Amino acid sequence: VTEPRELSAEEIAEGVRAGRLGALEVTEACLERIAGVEPRVGAFLRVEATAARDRAAEIDRRRARGARLGALAGVPLAIKDNLCLAGAPVTCGSKILSGFVSPYSATAVERLLAADAVIVGATNLDEFAMGSSCENSAFQATRNPWHLGMVPGGSSGGSAAAVAAGGVALALGSDTGGSIRQPAALCGVVGLKPTYGRVSRSGLVAFASSLDQIGPLGRTVRDVALGLEVIAGHDPRDATSERRPVPSYRERLEEGLAGLRVGTLREVEEERLALDSRRRWREAIATLGRLGAEVVEVSIPSLPAAVAVYYVLANCEASANLARFDGVRYGRRVRRPGADLADVYLDSRSSGLGAEVKRRILLGTFALSAGYHEAYYGRARGVVESMRRQFAAAFERVDLLATPTTPAGAFALGEKVDDPLTMYLSDVFTVPANLVGVPAVAVPSGLDDRGLPLSLQLLARPFDEATLLRAARAFEREAGFRTAPGFREAAAA
Amino acid sequence: VGLKCHFKKMALSVDEVRRIAALARLRVEPEDAERSAAQLSRIVDYIDQLGHVPAASAPTESGRQPYEREDEARPCLARALFLANAPQALDGLLVVPKVRADGD
Repeated sequence: VTEPRELSAEEIAEGVRAGRLGALEVTEACLERIAGVEPRVGAFLRVEATAARDRAAEIDRRRARGARLGALAGVPLAIKDNLCLAGAPVTCGSKILSGFVSPYSATAVERLLAADAVIVGATNLDEFAMGSSCENSAFQATRNPWHLGMVPGGSSGGSAAAVAAGGVALALGSDTGGSIRQPAALCGVVGLKPTYGRVSRSGLVAFASSLDQIGPLGRTVRDVALGLEVIAGHDPRDATSERRPVPSYRERLEEGLAGLRVGTLREVEEERLALDSRRRWREAIATLGRLGAEVVEVSIPSLPAAVAVYYVLANCEASANLARFDGVRYGRRVRRPGADLADVYLDSRSSGLGAEVKRRILLGTFALSAGYHEAYYGRARGVVESMRRQFAAAFERVDLLATPTTPAGAFALGEKVDDPLTMYLSDVFTVPANLVGVPAVAVPSGLDDRGLPLSLQLLARPFDEATLLRAARAFEREAGFRTAPGFREAAAA
Repeated sequence: VGLKCHFKKMALSVDEVRRIAALARLRVEPEDAERSAAQLSRIVDYIDQLGHVPAASAPTESGRQPYEREDEARPCLARALFLANAPQALDGLLVVPKVRADGD
């Protein structure tokens, strides 16, 4: 008998809608699992057990009264703590938002609730989604469920770890330069960054507005497709959200890869990949070919510049977006006796923001300051434009692009905290999708020599999530990877 | 385009970091200043290489049609909800510390 917490989101929703499963029964099973693994993993900043039970019981009552339930009926779900839920705190993993209570819900969160999902809690993240390890959270480090001495990745590391550890079937994350896909890769789950504009950003605390996108993480491609069907679509509250209709991503999901052309990037061969990652990457390409895809090599010559471009543009936007955290309208205010407004800005920000966030604000402020704006921001925009044309040309030849999601599997807690540039460089394969706005998915491809997950990344044309997910599904089926982390103790490294 | 990540020069001095921090309304603690300047310099040295990467002229809009709406009043966040998060409020207004006359 399959435990309720081991069911996929799709199975739970079908079961609850058909009356075979109780939403409360599933929620209790998940809460029990979370209580069992959280002391070791630390994926959640808050578990809202009472609210989740109340909500699940209400869904069961509605079902008993004959109500038609939504696409995520009774599915326990976690949201990254930079997504607003009306009446609940949202911390962004930062002390500067202490005491803040969301006055409204993010559109994506509203859509989850309208689909009868059960939100069980808010997950840990690098402060303001800035980081690749969750170590920049002001509150706690999250540990990788596969190996407790390793990072879960970031910034949506809490969401990835919560899904991998079996506490929830689905979670939402946000992805500005790989923050859904990289932790999904390191935790052995599926993570999707939709096309820019596919999901409303309203109620997502902004990091870099031209790059941010909300997306789902799940144990299977089918669940991620289901999650996207629920949260995608136009929203008047986000001027960059797209008006074109949302297709059913599950309808043609099982149709396979035959007839599709997949491009591998010549530049990937020149990047530093761990030996086991390279081996797994070659195997993944062979698998795509075996599944009937025509694999061809293409070139994105500007790929090696992607990290530099990203850390200019994202930090410029961050320095502007995070100016709002000033101790005046909301959040932490530090006011010493005799302080004037400028002192309050300085004291509140300096004590409320962490080292990595300050570093990025400083870099962005520098790149936008008088005399440097054109050399950094202007130049970076130009390189992105050139990259956009290279991607457009590649997508005239192929339907999908493939890369490893990360250059290596999970790294140890503390290993890279003092070396920000090295941490940034490992984002080389994930940042291009944000820079050019295309959708990308991370799918587990197998284990490295240490027994930790590795991942294949697929990218598609803008708004072609249907083809992207269909290919990911075919790969997933063939790769036969099962998310089953062992919670290996740190000492066993 | 291969970008390197080992550098000899220091792109930013401690004084420059202090100047940028003042613009960003952040304090650089004296004991962190050297380390901060060194870390930021390494990153700035890295991104400086963008000067050698081929770039297209960037259009002002990235090919997307901007979304337009009528310029009209719409419902917005209720005052009470907004002020519920204010560090200090009085009579339906936000209380802020005095602004010094010298412009800072």
